[in-house]
Amino acid sequence: MNDLLLDVMEVSKTFARGRLLSREKIVAVNKVSMQLAAGQPEILAIIGESGSGKTTLARMILNMETPTSGRLVLDGTDLAAMGGNAARLAFMHKVQPIFQNPFESFNPLKRVERYLLMTRLRFTGAAGESTAAVAVDAALHKVGLSLKEVGGRYPHELSGGQLQRVAIARALLAEPKLIVADEPVSMIDASLRMSIVNLFRTLRDELGISIIYVTHDLATAYYISDRIMIMQKGSVVESGDARTVLKAPRHPYTRQLREAVLLPEVASAPAIVTPNMNGLSPGAPERRA
Amino acid sequence: MHASVEQPHGDQEAQPLLVVRDLQAYYRTSHAGVRRGIRAVDGVSFTVRRGEIYGLAGESSSGKTTLIKSIAGAIKPPLEIVGGSMEFAFLSGYGGLHRAARAELERIRWRHLSYIMQGSMNVLNPVRRVRSSFVDFAYPHIGGSLKQFEQLVVAHLARVKLDPSVLTAFPHELSGGMRQRAALALATICRPGFIIADEPTTALDVVVQKEVLGMIRGIQRETGSSVLFVTHDMGVHAHITDRLAIMYAGRLVEEAATAEIFRNPLHPYTKNLISSLPRIGEDAPRAGLAGAPPNLADPPSGCRFHPRCPLASEICCREVPVMREASSGHRVACFAVNGGDGA
Repeated sequence: MNDLLLDVMEVSKTFARGRLLSREKIVAVNKVSMQLAAGQPEILAIIGESGSGKTTLARMILNMETPTSGRLVLDGTDLAAMGGNAARLAFMHKVQPIFQNPFESFNPLKRVERYLLMTRLRFTGAAGESTAAVAVDAALHKVGLSLKEVGGRYPHELSGGQLQRVAIARALLAEPKLIVADEPVSMIDASLRMSIVNLFRTLRDELGISIIYVTHDLATAYYISDRIMIMQKGSVVESGDARTVLKAPRHPYTRQLREAVLLPEVASAPAIVTPNMNGLSPGAPERRA
Repeated sequence: MHASVEQPHGDQEAQPLLVVRDLQAYYRTSHAGVRRGIRAVDGVSFTVRRGEIYGLAGESSSGKTTLIKSIAGAIKPPLEIVGGSMEFAFLSGYGGLHRAARAELERIRWRHLSYIMQGSMNVLNPVRRVRSSFVDFAYPHIGGSLKQFEQLVVAHLARVKLDPSVLTAFPHELSGGMRQRAALALATICRPGFIIADEPTTALDVVVQKEVLGMIRGIQRETGSSVLFVTHDMGVHAHITDRLAIMYAGRLVEEAATAEIFRNPLHPYTKNLISSLPRIGEDAPRAGLAGAPPNLADPPSGCRFHPRCPLASEICCREVPVMREASSGHRVACFAVNGGDGA
């Protein structure tokens, strides 16, 4: 058990919807198990469409959501048994999040360097601001920025790509073992996206950080991840080595996803002109609510 | 390429549907006496032919949204049309929808020009059933008895594989894919000559996206409408557009047949945009572009791409490259490609 960084055991999450008498249960995550080995940094992609439960699973790993059943153990600590501020701080030391929209993760009225300094001070306690500033600069250098560039700036003065880098630098200040990134590049411009994606690879190789990469984009998942997990309606339908799974998908849903990827090649264009609209698809007429 | 002001019953086949000439649309603000201008669209010219899907690609803040707002005539301060013209085949002599009278706009909207937006909730009235949206927007243009109209709507909904029962639903009761298909049906029922599609499938899941794209293509082929299709997703462009223009920092940098752009991109920005796309089955490392898109309140001098360009030379910092034909139908604005002084 000690050699696991993250052990997710049969975790489920149900949400209730509707009124008292017409209550309806929605199973967002259904008995999902997964492991990340300690000392073996890797990038694990969790892939699914909207409503597949991938974000709920990520939020449970981040302890932002309590599972309805099942257990999550991070580096020997059971998340359910965690209590008190000290334990929470220790937990945040190990796991850090990166969210989809960097403009929403930063307070627009605060200079970004304050965020970074406060984060550092919080995790290293008494060490003064000048030592913290050194650490902040070092973290920014790891993401290809510097304190000189972002110092004194407000979030809206940076581009989405730069701000997402700052968000990653902020996560690095806690010196985490695991980063959970929920759609970290879907809001980023195409010309900047690959540099963020490449950065995750550098974090894994040079800093030994494991990354859980939550996305709906099969192409970037193929590009950076070591392992992938495909989710559909709360359950994992296929998982394994990223290359094996995406090159030769076995589950019909994975195959359907794989075929729906629009390759940036015109040669494959005729495929779309006569789509098979009779086949099963989540868009088939089905009323919501 | 230049269309003179047309007669309504003239030779319509040959003339393009929309000619945009040297359009400049700026956001002008004035705070405490300090005037600022954001040059979101700065000297854009292009032509949308009849019956084609014309793609427009560009990242956020490249000005593509401002461009389609200008074309659709949705101009509100601080946005201003500073120069240039937009001539539609169905509205000659005005130089743009923003100059047309209200009654003229009512005649045109939905009948000649319609929209498919990213969030179709913005098109379908959220507090009324889908049927009401059809009656409100399309019925005045089609006329006849309401019963006939409803039959037409049901038949049209079948084209996008929607059951007639969606007519009695409220927009929020439909899934994202169904809503987008309902919006597509609404936008095409009057068989308009021109459709503006702004990121119509971006919010959809990949499987649904492919299906909706196929429907847009199918209906467009059937009605012969022209579509201005805007998205940042190059994969979508590769699959649906006939011609493609790439926009960077308020200007067009390249335009050609879509296949040509993907096979033979000439502008350094387009080259990187295409080569950096990851593909399943290919393991070669991909590099993003260094730097960031410029702030349009204070754009770089000369070619706006020069601070990030690997081929930049001295002239690029000084002068603005113009769009020139590099080969037949393939226009590019780059000194390194076109050579010369760009005059």
